[in-house]
Amino acid sequence: MTNMTYREAVRLAMIEEMDRDQNVFIMGEDIGKYKGTFRVTDGLFERYCQEPRDWLVEPPHPEILDGVGRRVIDTPITEPGIVGMATGAAMTGLRPIVEMMTMSFSILALDQIINHAAKIHYMTGGQISVPLVIRGPGGAANQLSAQHSHSMEGWYAHVPGLKVVAPATPNCAKGMLKAAIRDDNPVIFTENPGLYSMKGDVSDNVDEIIPFGKARIAKEGKDISLIAYSRMVNVSLAAAELLAADGIDAEVVDVRSLLPLDTETIYNSVRKTHRAVVVYEDWKSGGFGAEIAARIAQDCFDDLDAPVGRVGGLNVPMPYARVLELQCIPNEQDVLAEVRKIG
Amino acid sequence: MTAKNGSATATRVKASDPTDQLPRDLLSREEYLELFRQLYLARYFDVRLIKEKKKGRLTGTLYSSHNQEAVLVGSLFGLRPNDWISPIHRDMPAFFMKDLRSGWDNPDRMGMSIEEVCAQVWCKVGSPGRARDNWSHIGKKDKHIIHSTSMLAGTIPVAAGVAYADKLDGGDTVVVTFNGEGSTAQGVFHEAINFAAVHKLAVVTIIENNQWAYGTPTHLGYPLEDYARRADGYGIPGFIADGQDVFDVYDKVMQAVAWGRSGKGPSIVECKTFRAYGHGDHDDDRAAKYRPQDEVEQGRSRDPIAIAKKVLLEKGYITESEATLYQAEGKSAGQTTDEDFPPEVVAYLKRGVDYALKSPAPAAEEGERWVFRV
Ligand SMILES: Cc1ncc(C[n+]2csc(CCOP(=O)(O)OP(=O)(O)O)c2C)c(N)n1
Ligand SMILES: [Mg+2]
Repeated sequence: MTNMTYREAVRLAMIEEMDRDQNVFIMGEDIGKYKGTFRVTDGLFERYCQEPRDWLVEPPHPEILDGVGRRVIDTPITEPGIVGMATGAAMTGLRPIVEMMTMSFSILALDQIINHAAKIHYMTGGQISVPLVIRGPGGAANQLSAQHSHSMEGWYAHVPGLKVVAPATPNCAKGMLKAAIRDDNPVIFTENPGLYSMKGDVSDNVDEIIPFGKARIAKEGKDISLIAYSRMVNVSLAAAELLAADGIDAEVVDVRSLLPLDTETIYNSVRKTHRAVVVYEDWKSGGFGAEIAARIAQDCFDDLDAPVGRVGGLNVPMPYARVLELQCIPNEQDVLAEVRKIG
Repeated sequence: MTAKNGSATATRVKASDPTDQLPRDLLSREEYLELFRQLYLARYFDVRLIKEKKKGRLTGTLYSSHNQEAVLVGSLFGLRPNDWISPIHRDMPAFFMKDLRSGWDNPDRMGMSIEEVCAQVWCKVGSPGRARDNWSHIGKKDKHIIHSTSMLAGTIPVAAGVAYADKLDGGDTVVVTFNGEGSTAQGVFHEAINFAAVHKLAVVTIIENNQWAYGTPTHLGYPLEDYARRADGYGIPGFIADGQDVFDVYDKVMQAVAWGRSGKGPSIVECKTFRAYGHGDHDDDRAAKYRPQDEVEQGRSRDPIAIAKKVLLEKGYITESEATLYQAEGKSAGQTTDEDFPPEVVAYLKRGVDYALKSPAPAAEEGERWVFRV
């Protein structure tokens, strides 16, 4: 185990997989010499693009190609184009990782993601697979306002043909990104910007991956299940501490994989505690937490001692003023209030 | 690397009438002086905000327009009050400099007041968006300023829609959109211009080619040197202006505007300039490393204030001693003092800042207002 930040864990996963498999490459805006706006790709350009052996053929006009890497590719500002090109490359057997400067910008690429990447395997009768990873920061940071703060994972988890994950810890980030890169399907990999500097112990084992479809118990408890993913796991853990002071022993379930969803772990927790509150940052109305809540309500009906609670983001475009923004993002007090409300 | 910073001044497609008279030739001495004064105003806005941020009095990001002021001033100066503009992140001064010619203190002029713009920067309810969006994302319908958003090039189709509506109404207003060169890679940039070309809409697209898009140099964004050639694919005029020379920008934009106003359709004006600092002030330290020092020095060597000053001297519109009165040119924000700017410029900003500081912050409970029209 090595202690590192979430950002470093994401980077390490890419390095290990790029070292392991020559077919893995990364493309995106400002990811090369610039190292990414969140510095996630720091060092990758130097590692994979300086060596002459990285050129398939000697470039005809080296001066024009100054700064162009073969495996770390700076693109023009063209999100649908990037995803489409990565999809084409993936169809032929390469394993592209697309970095979205923020997942909010993937909205521009929805057509390529939903109509192309996600559907090709099904519509071609299983002939063509698209081993593509789209990753980047998703969710609110600090005063980036409405067009930079979207939580997109719920939108994508709606789409058959995509896999969607949202890890909450550095170790999960590394293990799940490695799994994403090795997966033969398009994967949406969300990194909450509030997590990048979070530190944690990360496995040193280069062969260890964390398979999708397996939730994690972040904290055991017996009185209520707080069910969350991404940064909301931390919020739920903080809420659990506050609840402990009130004598309530909360269990925190880190969903981490939305599609496929591990309902078994979620249901087992609810069957033990008989109460559930789902916590998610996305707009509360129609967000992925609503799907989780609906499934619990239907499948664990006889085990529940209270209606399933939900804590989600306020249904407004994310405002800029900090005082307004804070109203929109769920915090531990909101979780506490919901726990009290369901009784 | 390609040639930088204003080396090309030729017009690719000549859209003006065949006489050699340039739009600037119709300007009076007073108008020359006003253009010059506006350069100081744009520069001082930037300088003042950088200083306010360094004092810790501000949050948010400044996408500095330092060294690019001639693009804004020269593009806006000749517009009619009713024309529309659609600025982006780097064009903060455009919001209050639109129709400045109708009088800096004229409340009826068709631009935002300096007070509103400063309130936006300070995130106060006195701003047009009532603190809902960040510095450069403002709009004001009654002043014919299209709301800018984060989404690069996203407002160009909106601008084309405004132009289309105006055409249906039988109007002759022109819509001027501002974009960085990097943003021209966006799909909607092309969709909008194609639509405007098909319907001969009066949309003038200014490409502020400051050689960098965030951390990406132009040669990784477009394979040709001149972004004005984007126009070729739509059969519309593509002008190239020296973006450091406010008079050249004025000439090219006025030709493009005349082309649009006479019903001939859209056009592109590429202004060659150079981004003085980082992408935003958060990026200044990194930019100092990822950009070659000699390129930065060369790019900043042609200060638009100095270039305009020289023209005024040559024309005899100012004297040698007047020319040395204010010396903001060639200085970074930190190197300037208020004495480097005309006092009316300093006073104008002070008015805005004072208003912003006094304007109330939004109340937490008003966050859900205005999602819908009720
Ligand atoms: C659709 C979209 N993609 C990416 C971004 C992130 N981004 C913001 S500004 C910028 C660079 C823009 O460069 P350019 O168009 O040249 O304008 P400049 O900042 O140089 O004035 C990028 C990539 C964005 N805001 N919107
Ligand atoms: Mg640029």
